[in-house]
Amino acid sequence: MAPAATNTNWSVDFETLRRHDLFKNPPKDHTAFPSLAESIYPHIHSFNALFGDSKVIEAGLKDIGTKTFLDGELESPQEKKVRLAEGRLPPKRNKLNVRVREVFLDKPALPLANKFATRNRNIYPSECRERHATYRGKLRARLEYQVNNGDWKESVRELGQVPIMMRTNRCHLEKATPDELVDHKEESEELGGYFVVNGNEKLIRMLIVGKRNYPMAIIRGSFVKRGHTYTKFGIQIRSVRPDQTSQTNVLHYLSDGNVTFRFSWRKNEYLIPIVMILKALVETNDRDIFEGIVGSAASKGVENTFITDRVELLLRTYKAYNLNGRASSRAYLGEKFKPVLGVPADMSNEDAGTEFLRKIVLPHLGNQNVTESQDYDKFKMLMFMIRKLYALVAGDCAPDNPDAVSNQEVLLGGFLYGMLLKERLEEWLRSLGPIARDYCNRSGAKFTDPAFEKEFLAKVVKRSNENIGGALEYFLSTGNLVSPTGLDLQQASGYTVMAEKINFYRFISHFRMIHRGSFFAQLKTTTVRKLLPESWGFLCPVHTPDGSPCGLLNHLSHKCLISTSDLDVSHVPRLLAQLGVRADSSVSLDESVTVQLDGRVIGYCTPKQARMVADTLRYWKVEGTHQIPLELEIGYVPNSNGGQYPGIYMFSQSARMYRPVKYLALEKLDYVGPFEQPFMEIACLESDLVAGVSTHIEFTPTNILSIVANMTPFSDYNQSPRNMYQCQMSKQTMGTPGTAIAYRTDNKLYRLQTGQTPIVRPPLYNAYGLDNFPNGTNAIVAIISYTGYDMDDAMIINKSAHERGFGYGTIYKTKIHSLDEKDSRRGKSKHEITKLFGFAPGDMIKAEWRKTLDEDGLPHVGARMTEGSLVAAWHSVRYDPTTNSYTNVDGVTHFVKYKDAEGGYIDSIRLMGHENGTDPCQSLSVKYRIPRKPIIGDKFSSRHGQKGVCSQLWPAVDMPFSESGMQPDLIINPHAFPSRMTIAQMIESMAGKAGALHGHPQDCTPFQFSEENTATDYFGQQLRKAGYNYYGNEPLYSGITGKEFAADIYMGVVYYQRLRHMVNDKFQVRTTGPVNGVTGQPVKGRAKGGGIRVGEMERDSLLAHGAAFLLQDRLMNCSDAQRSWICRDCGSFLSTQVAVSSVGSSKARAAIKPGSGAAAAAAAAANAATAAPTQQQKQNSSSSASAALGGLTGIVRCRRCAREAVFEDSRADVWEDGDGRRYVGGDNVTVVAVPGVLRYLDVELAAMGIRMKFWVDN
Amino acid sequence: MSREAYQVPNLGAQNAFGDGMGAGSMESPAVSYLCGECNSRVSLKRGDQIRCKECGHRVLYKERTKRMVQFEAR
Repeated sequence: MAPAATNTNWSVDFETLRRHDLFKNPPKDHTAFPSLAESIYPHIHSFNALFGDSKVIEAGLKDIGTKTFLDGELESPQEKKVRLAEGRLPPKRNKLNVRVREVFLDKPALPLANKFATRNRNIYPSECRERHATYRGKLRARLEYQVNNGDWKESVRELGQVPIMMRTNRCHLEKATPDELVDHKEESEELGGYFVVNGNEKLIRMLIVGKRNYPMAIIRGSFVKRGHTYTKFGIQIRSVRPDQTSQTNVLHYLSDGNVTFRFSWRKNEYLIPIVMILKALVETNDRDIFEGIVGSAASKGVENTFITDRVELLLRTYKAYNLNGRASSRAYLGEKFKPVLGVPADMSNEDAGTEFLRKIVLPHLGNQNVTESQDYDKFKMLMFMIRKLYALVAGDCAPDNPDAVSNQEVLLGGFLYGMLLKERLEEWLRSLGPIARDYCNRSGAKFTDPAFEKEFLAKVVKRSNENIGGALEYFLSTGNLVSPTGLDLQQASGYTVMAEKINFYRFISHFRMIHRGSFFAQLKTTTVRKLLPESWGFLCPVHTPDGSPCGLLNHLSHKCLISTSDLDVSHVPRLLAQLGVRADSSVSLDESVTVQLDGRVIGYCTPKQARMVADTLRYWKVEGTHQIPLELEIGYVPNSNGGQYPGIYMFSQSARMYRPVKYLALEKLDYVGPFEQPFMEIACLESDLVAGVSTHIEFTPTNILSIVANMTPFSDYNQSPRNMYQCQMSKQTMGTPGTAIAYRTDNKLYRLQTGQTPIVRPPLYNAYGLDNFPNGTNAIVAIISYTGYDMDDAMIINKSAHERGFGYGTIYKTKIHSLDEKDSRRGKSKHEITKLFGFAPGDMIKAEWRKTLDEDGLPHVGARMTEGSLVAAWHSVRYDPTTNSYTNVDGVTHFVKYKDAEGGYIDSIRLMGHENGTDPCQSLSVKYRIPRKPIIGDKFSSRHGQKGVCSQLWPAVDMPFSESGMQPDLIINPHAFPSRMTIAQMIESMAGKAGALHGHPQDCTPFQFSEENTATDYFGQQLRKAGYNYYGNEPLYSGITGKEFAADIYMGVVYYQRLRHMVNDKFQVRTTGPVNGVTGQPVKGRAKGGGIRVGEMERDSLLAHGAAFLLQDRLMNCSDAQRSWICRDCGSFLSTQVAVSSVGSSKARAAIKPGSGAAAAAAAAANAATAAPTQQQKQNSSSSASAALGGLTGIVRCRRCAREAVFEDSRADVWEDGDGRRYVGGDNVTVVAVPGVLRYLDVELAAMGIRMKFWVDN
Repeated sequence: MSREAYQVPNLGAQNAFGDGMGAGSMESPAVSYLCGECNSRVSLKRGDQIRCKECGHRVLYKERTKRMVQFEAR
């Protein structure tokens, strides 16, 4: 009998045994937490769509089409004239056609070069993490080529290795069960959705983009800058091709009533009169266009003179081009756009125009093999856009808000990846042309030569850059988009982020995160950051960081879904026709409103009909009849007085957000999208229902919150910013990143050793399986002013609680110790092995080395490392081909040392081999374990944005105690509450206490209590039942005096998180230390042992306090103070120099001494100062300084004030420089204490010919 | 001398001297590692290729030391 399927229903219960069983026996059928797995589906399914059933890449290949190149030279106009005069035929140019027929992406496997792996050639993600490699598969493309109209030949080209998203259809673990995942060293609840690049987990962040295939009315001041007579009015449509790449088309309104069509192609902008495009699309005439925009002569549209005037002008001004008919318009367009489109030179102008229309004009309505009717669709859509534009100008409709979710969709990681892949493929195909021509020019061959055909692959294709995999890996590791087309996106970088596994909340949040785009981050206006009511249910109102990314970085509500495939809506147009949607229309909105499906005008109907159509469709959709998919978005925009342009806009394609609500008419699940939601009546609670108006109701109000925001207990009782802070802080908690920690090699991994399940939690906590990743500890918290060490958000931890392991954490750091130099030559030449790990043979091995190292020169697992400990031994070797071994010549052992100041233990050592399995050990991955018990200065927080710093570990004997002898684990200050109003923390405290006493979990879902049924009463009754005070207060006794406090103290159980900010990573203090080489001032930066700058403001405050001595100490003595010789007469540092002793002049010096006793004494003092090696300067600078000061016995003179000695001078006055020249005078020099930079400034100025002069007093 | 057995921690110079000479003058000792895939023991000498002899896996772990590891409790 097969075992029962794994139960996926979860309640609020602890379910300890069930959880333990899941841990011991990971399910062999499916995950026990399906909602967790669903939360990242947008990532996985969008990647699956590339090569799966949706075949996005295949659509992209069709869009790329065939590239054609010609041999020979393009003839110049003069040549053509000569040729025509002679009556010759144009020289025959041969055509080379290339296309990519298919693209294959293999699952990650070992390269063929590896002959050693026998059992399993698959590479699994865990190996990539451990080897700091990239999880990637081989990308191949079937390249087909043809000369003239010969046979197509093909070759399968290898295009490098492409990173592969975890748990997608190109990953080995796509359908792996939790049991199999554990076997492959993954978490049992591994979700995938990210890439492993160089051992790091990277994901492509979701990005907000404009809603596809919906013409948006936009009023934007910058439109005026497009050119003369341009106005701020425009209609913009983001038209998406089947391969998910997009092309934005904009219609601009000119002040004279004209309309131009703007698009951007390969990062350049182009403008075309709209009528030219209309006429090029279909065979039409002015009357058709007029009636298409205004409406038939019988309609009310013709009465609107605002429109008729402008349409008339539109058609009249176009007459100037003198282009009639479809063919000539296409030819005109083709002629102009031929050079930029990349079409072959011999293509006719008309065909080029057709190509232009296919690629650029509303490609969502026809991108491949465009039919007549598709062109007509484009024509109709453009007419609609013109109508909407005129309505916008006339003020009949309001502009659409591009910052509202209703006009937005999501750019999914997988689709972006596919866009990039498509573009790389196209660039590769394009690049073959110049190479082929270059080959022909060099060899003089034609495409038709047999040699060309023979050598095409070897000499042409081989020379192209086939490393598409490398380009994608670069994209993922840096997030930079290198693109000649720009992909219709507004930013060039910041697409990928590292999926940090600090704790599980943070990890899962990365996948639910939606960024507005880094372009908006620089925007001065804050309108884009606003929380709009349209976001209701789609984006979490709570879960956004505060600070610079506030409102730009949002998170999806936990029930919000994103479509990743197109629905089957082929049936819908017929249904609409049956419901009375007709083709004829009028510009008058009272008469006809549009009905569109995915940006295609299906037809028009009256406003009254529109309402009926929308309601009927929705009923059918929820009912599941008439083949209308449930996920279809039926955006019914009713007629209004100058509101949004009315109509029915239906959307069925990918990248839409949608969310579940209940349809009241059928009491069934319905999905609503952000476009339709503003015009729907969705009640939040039963009490909000309005009879005859409400059509839908929320399943539960917590659906609007994100996963993380849902975990805040009773968040409806908190002041809203506190919930925001909690969302941020839960993501910085030192929690449990996972259970496969042994197989992870993150640079830094935080782990809480004693995580507990919270007593107070919502049922969603279990549904999302968060007990697998505990994030904190239930602590007994007393809210009391005690000892004075709990001022200002400081908190006191009971020392006994600390000793029992409260908040005990560990940091795992993984360091790679590599022997091969990572210089520029890497990968180019076959790098030789010049170093090996281990003690050099023949070298003596000292006992102290063996303290941490084993025979193999690697540390033993478990060794304690302190600063300077030996991590590994290595020696240089040379390869000896005769014995096929490495020999060491010098017999010297070198060491890799442990550099951190904080000690740790070796947790594990990995020897990383090469993919080919050939090389000896060249790099080690060493994981260090750094224990971090909570110490004073570490940060903790409750789940209500109440963070605090541990200020004391208070001895248990001195802690207050209750009547039953209980002591709090934590003491926080009551002043933390009045201004912050985190009432939920107080409720949690009571609920936790009651839950602990009764031994049951407490449901803390927000919005479950009310004024009539209060939370305090609910939990107070429970407390009373357990024999405690109804209000949660307890009499407490002072631990110091033993006397009862005058007041009862509020004490309960609160779940506390330990945050990852710890003093050990932050303290910065120095007296002496490294200094800057040039200025001699202390360096900056904690990592380098630098100081904290005493800046201008600090200086000002010290001055204001009159703390002159302190200022002198900070700015001079602890910085770059130095003693320097200066000449009193000329006031120069630079002209002083040492007088050297000449032979036999000791007598003379003795004679000088009494004469300049003061100077000599000063010199001695200066010498003493420099001789003492207090300043850790470089060897040469200190020696030069002492030389400048005259050494130990020298005398210093000013060269500038001295004159050359003549014969008459007394020998006593003469001094000599290093070159033996003799001088007299310049003895009025002295030593001053100055900042080193002052002398440096003097030198620099001198170099520019500027002299500084100092007056030296006393 | 087997490193499997417990050795009295002896930081005396003679021991290290003898050890060093022994290890240095002869061919480097083989140290066994654990395969990251099949958990089999892989014995490697200096300059050997990093690869499991059984399954060809490319990540090897160093074994937990058999030395006595003791630290002063503080």
